[in-house]
Amino acid sequence: MAGLEATLLLALQAVFSGILVGSVYGVLSIGLSLAFGVMRIVNFAHGELVMYGMFAGVIASTAFGIEPLLILPLSFLLTALVGMAQYQIVFRHFVGHATLNQLLAAIGCALVLQMVAQLIFGPDARTATSMFSGQYVVIGSFFLSKAQIVAFVIAVLATLAVEVLLRGTAWGKSVRAVADDLEAAEVVGINSATINVLAFALACGLAGMAGTVLVTYFPTSPSTGFMLMPIIIIATTIGGLGSISGTFLGGIFCGVIQQLTAMLWNPALQDVFLYILLMLFIAYRPTGFFGVRSE
Amino acid sequence: MDAPALDTDASKLAAPPRTNAQVRTLLTFAIPIAIVAVLPLLPFINNYVIAATVRALIFITLGQAWNVVAGIGGLLSLGHGVFLGIGCYTTGILFNRYGIPPWIGVWGGALLSLLFALVMGTMTLRMRGIFFALATVAMSLALVQLSRHYVDLTGGADGLALRFFGDSLWALQSRTPTPFLYGALAVVILYYALTRLILRSRFGLEMMAVRDDEVAAAAAGVAVFRTKLLGFVVSAIMTSMAGGLYMQYYMAIDPEAAFGLSQAIQLQLPALLGGIGTAWGPIIGGAIMVFLSEVTNWGAAKVAIEGVDILVYGIMLLVVVLRAPKGIVGLLSRQFSGRTR
Repeated sequence: MAGLEATLLLALQAVFSGILVGSVYGVLSIGLSLAFGVMRIVNFAHGELVMYGMFAGVIASTAFGIEPLLILPLSFLLTALVGMAQYQIVFRHFVGHATLNQLLAAIGCALVLQMVAQLIFGPDARTATSMFSGQYVVIGSFFLSKAQIVAFVIAVLATLAVEVLLRGTAWGKSVRAVADDLEAAEVVGINSATINVLAFALACGLAGMAGTVLVTYFPTSPSTGFMLMPIIIIATTIGGLGSISGTFLGGIFCGVIQQLTAMLWNPALQDVFLYILLMLFIAYRPTGFFGVRSE
Repeated sequence: MDAPALDTDASKLAAPPRTNAQVRTLLTFAIPIAIVAVLPLLPFINNYVIAATVRALIFITLGQAWNVVAGIGGLLSLGHGVFLGIGCYTTGILFNRYGIPPWIGVWGGALLSLLFALVMGTMTLRMRGIFFALATVAMSLALVQLSRHYVDLTGGADGLALRFFGDSLWALQSRTPTPFLYGALAVVILYYALTRLILRSRFGLEMMAVRDDEVAAAAAGVAVFRTKLLGFVVSAIMTSMAGGLYMQYYMAIDPEAAFGLSQAIQLQLPALLGGIGTAWGPIIGGAIMVFLSEVTNWGAAKVAIEGVDILVYGIMLLVVVLRAPKGIVGLLSRQFSGRTR
């Protein structure tokens, strides 16, 4: 009986930390989902922008001694600019359908961005220290990281802000109009080119901001962006490509499954279940839990 | 002005065009094959040059295999490393543990790849292409984790090294790269012939019809799903057998080199650079890719920077996709008004 009780406690601990970790996965992923929903672009370089956001946090904390969480607006702005450049140079040519060439172009972008980061920052793993790093809150018999709790709060707020922006403002309405029907949106006087570049910048800015939040408890290196891509893809597909809140919940779902696998089975195989889930979702429910039907 | 034009037309008709074309075709094949074949006999050619040529030939075979599914079939397989890795690991494990020679073991890898491709294809090929692409990526990353974890079977993150027997025909091993030059050349020629065969066959035409317009192909009576699945399976088996060659030559494999995404990108580049969907594309592209990566690695070693070849791959990928989506063969045939395929 004691064994069972211990297992249950362990599982509960896994669920709690899974929700905390997963909320950040969610915020990492909503940019990818947004770019797909509006422009049908699958940006394999999305993880690289997260990585640049993480390095922004590292530089703020190690070179200037600033709290990484204070530079969130700055890292949003910087990665949004990188995203705009990426859109103007590359993705502008592929709006409307995710073709083989679009995916390959995105992979090309990812390789270039990763290697540029390696030339600038070097190949080693780096950490940032936040005022919440390394501190734990003990509730009953559960240990929760303070940095992860703060990250959870920021993640929820950011997701809500994006939802409000897309559903409550005139600009958000025109973004959704372009996503629904580009030609009809242009007929009623929406400049789809401007909408697209700004939506893409928003998607990339969110990635960078989420990266800066992530680096308060997770070290970064130039290959971290590529490493994060699978979890971003899985969260987006399971939650539903194109749905913002769905992707956020998909991230939390991924976090919980990952932590449960790690704690109850084996940390080295923490992602294997997720890959299998992704295959099952693609086979039986490709729109995910909340995805938009699209063609 | 009209008269000379008519004249040349008449002279063309008079000359036997068939034999000319045949001679030209023969030369197009004979010259590259002859150059590669006599390479070890030439002066100033050391083992380094031969090794680089073997590397190019191996990546050409991998590119040819990927070309079948992506170029002819238009299916976005981004995780073809799955089949390369299965080929490498199966051949290696069968040899190390059970002493089964690679020329039998490679068929084991082919069989396993066939099963993997059938399961993956059945699950994902009915969906839109993007989901197939994501599934192939997911499968390759899952295999990276699994092969790292099951250390007893795969050697874990350190990888798997073949037991070395010195020069041995039975084990297909050699101390010098020269025998692999001829082996890899034979596979390249075989795969070239196979690609030509597929391009001309009913199956190839159906694949291209599905690639260009799925709905129209279905309306014309093509069994879309079955065609896609067959194309994927054929390409998987070809990749896995090229993987067996890879394993014999490099003598070792590790999870990243087998299933990793950067390896998957390297095996796509030959076809992309040379010209996707053509029989010559992977051959030209593979030669250029390896030449460029040797040059940049040499240059990068001079200034001691790591990973410049990856940066060059990324830039090549972007340039090809944005400026020359049909690759070098596409550029050439635009120049000489379309007589390449």
